[in-house]
Amino acid sequence: MKNYAIVGFGCAGFHAARAIRQLDPSGRIAVFSDTGQPPFNPMLTTYYASEKLELDGVFPFGGMEEIQRKLSLELYSDMRVRRVDTAHRSIELEGGQMRGFDAILIATGASALVPGPLRRGGGDFFLMRTLNDAQRLRRRLEQGGVKRAVVVGGSMVGIKVAELLYRRGVEVTLADGAPYLFPLAAYESTAHAIQQRLEERGLDLIFRAQVSAVTPKGVTLADGRTLEADLVCLCIGTRANVELVANTQVLEGENVQIERGIVVDEGMRTNVPGIYAAGDCCEGVNLQTGKTAVIGLWANAGAQGDCAGRNMAGQFCRYYGNILHNITHFFDMDFIGLGDPNLPGERCSFREKGFTVEAILEDGKLNSINLFGNYRISGILKNHLTKRLLGGEARLTPAQQGLLAAGGLSRAFIRRIGGE
Amino acid sequence: MSYIFLLDTRKCIGCGACAVACMDQNDVQPQEGDEPFRQCFVIEQGSGKDAPVRYLSMACMHCAQAPCVQGCPAGCLKKDTDTGFTVYDQTNCIGCHSCAMACPFAAPCFDRAGKMVKCDGCIERVRRGMQPACVRVCPYGALQLVEKETFGAGQRGKSARLLAYTALDGERTDSE
Repeated sequence: MKNYAIVGFGCAGFHAARAIRQLDPSGRIAVFSDTGQPPFNPMLTTYYASEKLELDGVFPFGGMEEIQRKLSLELYSDMRVRRVDTAHRSIELEGGQMRGFDAILIATGASALVPGPLRRGGGDFFLMRTLNDAQRLRRRLEQGGVKRAVVVGGSMVGIKVAELLYRRGVEVTLADGAPYLFPLAAYESTAHAIQQRLEERGLDLIFRAQVSAVTPKGVTLADGRTLEADLVCLCIGTRANVELVANTQVLEGENVQIERGIVVDEGMRTNVPGIYAAGDCCEGVNLQTGKTAVIGLWANAGAQGDCAGRNMAGQFCRYYGNILHNITHFFDMDFIGLGDPNLPGERCSFREKGFTVEAILEDGKLNSINLFGNYRISGILKNHLTKRLLGGEARLTPAQQGLLAAGGLSRAFIRRIGGE
Repeated sequence: MSYIFLLDTRKCIGCGACAVACMDQNDVQPQEGDEPFRQCFVIEQGSGKDAPVRYLSMACMHCAQAPCVQGCPAGCLKKDTDTGFTVYDQTNCIGCHSCAMACPFAAPCFDRAGKMVKCDGCIERVRRGMQPACVRVCPYGALQLVEKETFGAGQRGKSARLLAYTALDGERTDSE
C-alpha cells in the first residue's frame, strides 16, 4: 500500500487527492493543512468581503468533512509541517516527529506580498488573500467610519477591493508604482482606456507612486507625498510559499530547485525524485517562453494538481503548460488579457461600439490579445492562442470564426488574428 | 444514458427556428438585453458566386472534459453523470466570467442579474423522454440528439462537438 502526503489543501491539493483516490482506492493519503479550511479560490475573498457571497458559497468542493469522507483522507490540520526532508522523502512536523512517504506533493499556495519597509510606518493595514483577511475587512466595514481608503497595488485583487469600497460610498485612491494599470496583462493603450473609465466613475488613480510606508494616518509615498486614509489595503501581489523546502540544510542528495516558485517539469515533478509541486507555489511551463514561471490561476492549479496526483499514483501524465491569461470583471467592465503583452510584434486593433480588441502578431502569428468589454468571445481567442502555442492547427475553425463574427468582430479582423 | 448532439450541415438551412425555440424554452428575451444560448450563422467556404454556403447552429458542446467546470471558482458547473450534459446551479455565481474565458465556443451567457446561464441540453425535457426544444422544432431534422450507445462511426461527421472543433464535414483535426 502506497503512502502519499499532500502538504497544503487548496485547488491543487484537492485535485491531486481526487486523482490519487481515483487511481489508487486503497492508498493512504495524508493531507496536511494549516488552516483546516476546505479548498477555496483566494479570488472569492473580495466577493465575501463585499457580501456578494456568504461563507458556504466560498467552498466549491464542499465542506472539509464531506471531502475527507468522499476521498478517504487522513487530515492533519492541527499539526504544522516544519519542513520537507527531501533526501529521506519525509515530512518533519512541528515537535520534531518525522514521517516518511512514497510520494509528497507540495501544494502550499501563495501569500500576499508585504514588503518589509511598509510595516515600519506603524500603521495598520488590510490584506486580501485569505478568508481571515476577508472577514477582517468585512468586520471593519461593518463597524463604519471608513470615509477614505487607499488601496496599494493596481492588481486584479486591488481593483476589486477598490470597487467594493467604492460601492460602500468610500472615497478610494488606488496607488501603484507601475506606470499604468495591470502592466503584466494589459497594453498601455488598453490600460489607459480602462483608467479613463474608472476615473469617470470617480475613482482616484495614482501611478508611478511607490508607497514607502503605511502610517497611522494613511500612506507615505516615496516622493514624500502623503495620502490620508481611514483604511489601507495592500494588494501588491503574491509570493509563492516555498519555505518548507527552501533554506533547508541538505546533508545528502540535492535541494529542491526554487526560482520564484518550486520548479517542476511537465509531470509536476521537482528535481528530487518523489517530491512533486503544484498550484501557486510552483513554476510550471509557460508555453510562450518555454521556461518555467508561476502562473497563479485557479484552473491552472486544478490541472497541475490533477497531473501531479496521477503521476504520484503511478500513471503517466503530462501537463503541457499554460499561458498568462486573466479575466477581471470590475465596475461593470471586463478586461481580458491573453498571453504576455510585452512580447514583440505588430499591433492590430478592432473597435466596435462597446468593446475593443487589440492584438500583437509576430510574423502573422498571434502573441497576445487584450479584450476590453467583451467577455463572451474571450474563450475562443484564448483557446486559439493556446492551441497555436501547443503546435496545433494555428487557424480558427469555421465554427469559431462564425462565433467571433456573431460576437461582433469583422471578418477581416478574424482572418488576421486567425492566421490567414 | 449519455447523449450526443448531431448537426447535419447538409440539411441545415439556417432558418434559426432552433435559436428561437431555445429562447422560448429558456425565457431568453434579446429585446431586454438577454443573450441567446444558441446561435446560427453562415459559414463562407471560398469566394465567388459558386462558393458553397453552409450553416451552423451552435450552443454548449457539452464537452466531456469541460473546461468551464474547471474554470469556475465557485463550483457552479458540473457534468451530469446520467446525460453527459454540462449543467449548472447559479446560486453562488459571482459573475466573474471565468467560465466564458475557459469555453472555446462562447457558450456561457449572463442574465440580467449578472449570473451565468447557458444551454443545459434541455435536461428537464430529456429526463422526461422529450427532445430538447431546438431539436424538436428543426424542420429538416438537421439537429438531433442521439444516445451515445447508438452513435455510429458513420455519424462522426455530424457530431456537433466535432464540427465545432474541426473544419466542416467532420474533417477531424483535434481530439474530442
